[in-house]
Amino acid sequence: MTTKNKKDDSPILEVTNLKKYFPIQKGIFKKIVGNVRAVDGVDFSINKGETVSLVGESGCGKTTTARCIMRALDPTSGEIKFKTKNNEIIDLSKLSKDEVRPYRDDIQMIFQDPFSSLNPRMTLFDIVGEPLLVNGMKAKKEREERVSEIMHQVGLRPEYMMRFPHAFSGGQRQRIGIARALSINPSLIVADEPVSALDVSVQAQVLNLMMDLQDQLNLTYLFVSHDLSVVSQISDRVIVMYVGKIVESGTPKQIFESPKHPYTSALLSSVPKADPRLRQERIVLKGEVANAADPPSGCTFRTRCPNPTDDCRDGNIEMGLIEVSPGHWVDQCCVNCG
Amino acid sequence: MTKKNTKIEKQKPILSVNGLKVHFFTDEGTVKAVEGASFDVLAGRTLGIVGESGCGKSVATRSLLRLVDSPGKIVDGEIIYRGDANKKEINITSLKTSGSDIKSIRGGEISLIFQEPMTSFSPVHTVGNQIIEAIKLHKKLNKDDAKGLTLDWFKRVGMPDPEQRMNQYPWQLSGGQRQRAMIAMALCCDPKIVIADEPTTALDVTTQAQILDLLKELQEENGMSIIFITHDLGVIAEISDDVSVMYLGNIVESASVDEIFHSPKHPYTTGLLNSIPSITNKNRERLPTISGSIPHPHNRPSGCTFRNRCQNPSDDCREGKIEMKLIEVSPGHFVDQCCINCG
Repeated sequence: MTTKNKKDDSPILEVTNLKKYFPIQKGIFKKIVGNVRAVDGVDFSINKGETVSLVGESGCGKTTTARCIMRALDPTSGEIKFKTKNNEIIDLSKLSKDEVRPYRDDIQMIFQDPFSSLNPRMTLFDIVGEPLLVNGMKAKKEREERVSEIMHQVGLRPEYMMRFPHAFSGGQRQRIGIARALSINPSLIVADEPVSALDVSVQAQVLNLMMDLQDQLNLTYLFVSHDLSVVSQISDRVIVMYVGKIVESGTPKQIFESPKHPYTSALLSSVPKADPRLRQERIVLKGEVANAADPPSGCTFRTRCPNPTDDCRDGNIEMGLIEVSPGHWVDQCCVNCG
Repeated sequence: MTKKNTKIEKQKPILSVNGLKVHFFTDEGTVKAVEGASFDVLAGRTLGIVGESGCGKSVATRSLLRLVDSPGKIVDGEIIYRGDANKKEINITSLKTSGSDIKSIRGGEISLIFQEPMTSFSPVHTVGNQIIEAIKLHKKLNKDDAKGLTLDWFKRVGMPDPEQRMNQYPWQLSGGQRQRAMIAMALCCDPKIVIADEPTTALDVTTQAQILDLLKELQEENGMSIIFITHDLGVIAEISDDVSVMYLGNIVESASVDEIFHSPKHPYTTGLLNSIPSITNKNRERLPTISGSIPHPHNRPSGCTFRNRCQNPSDDCREGKIEMKLIEVSPGHFVDQCCINCG
């Protein structure tokens, strides 16, 4: 069920049957009355130097997946196999908080909101240098050199090192966020909606920067976004999620030019095109996103599908990805509904 | 600096804004949020105002309802509202901010749809009651009739289970439902103009598509004008008839939606259009960007505000000698005079 890699190099990250349930507690004894299945059996892999994007609407589980990989959340079950710099393969999901620590410098995160993710009381040097200090670079001189090098790399002037975040614009702050993530030479970067808080002209600058840095430093990105145009620009592979499950995955060309899943098609047709001559009829999905605390049995999309089969409507078809063309995987239930 | 749209002949715009200046007098200095903006709103059409954060688009439209709070102040310009052909023109800038005149315009003649319906509804009243309150304020209806009208509007905006939703609190509704309730509230008193301030920015694309379609449908039924503010050019292309592009408190270009997207004249408009990532772009292609960044509001450049980011400014422009002023380059297409040839 794992998505196939086109390149032959072995994956840097392999996620198998990842689940994250959040318990719903009720009453004075906090009895568990149910689970919100935020991520419900997700499989994918990322090769070295690749950009893989998770897309979907709010609540589909894309951020939860990313946070489980970061071990900011403890996954309920599943495997997260990660290849470290020393080519050791470790399962992040099985390690304790302390055991994960040595591998923290290998995976770093870029956050969505550049205004709330930077401490207003720390200077740029402290912010970007903190990961270095934590990871054992004690000499201040050495840290200063590294911070100034990395600031130069992300297009910030090293003279600004002693300033506080409030002196910077949104785009510059996001560059600071990127500098902090890069300071300890990670191999995998998890970027959670890194450009969605930015204006379009600044967004283009930050996307270009991320692509340039990837080429220079051979970075691997897991890119989480709800914006399909951004995703099509930057990704090597795209994974579409719906209510905790992957419904389609493939190259941007496969996903954007010949989507097979009805949900992908509806998402694509909802994206407003920046050309008034291309105004078109949209595929409007009926109803609302299914409740992750009580998802429909069988195919989770059946309540909104434009033409479900009888078996699907009764919830008799299990979800599972099948390969429709090399590297293009679609949920088996919806292969013919699109 | 006034401009007329030639497509609709002889019809006076329902709202004209001329040389509007709104300044914020802060301790650190004066922030010129809006510095001489002019635009017209035509009856039954949608004007899209597009610009990046801090360009003054929200402040400009808030001043139409005199909702700019201290230390902000309208220092110059006029806002002429011609809601009724039989009545006199009203200059909104001359009204008192808390008088009965402006109160009858707010919500009754011109209403506002906010970006984040979660924070703009009161969390301790049911959505139904909040809309009933608005109706009772502007229409002489008793409670039962107002309730009936609210229910009617809930149905028109496509709210699922309208009877039940009326008695629910904002936090019990989903984002899309809240925005539908917001639209019902804005339209329930049959306003002539609806200002929609980033109404879909907080929503998912599929919900955004539903809300845009709903606004278009309601406009066809009611014939109201819409001022649609957004930073998303895709949404502008989708919904607008006319577009004004704002940069640092000035309108730098305004034209019909087709002209803006297919023959933009101002380098800022061109830059914005080029920097949109698109599904049809080549994968991993680098996007063209506008060099530099938006100047800090305290350091507004003199003369043409775009000159420090312009690719080929003239010598006069570089020195800040050219005043900003819209001139008509083709019928209905207005561009800032300094940048006509830089684009």
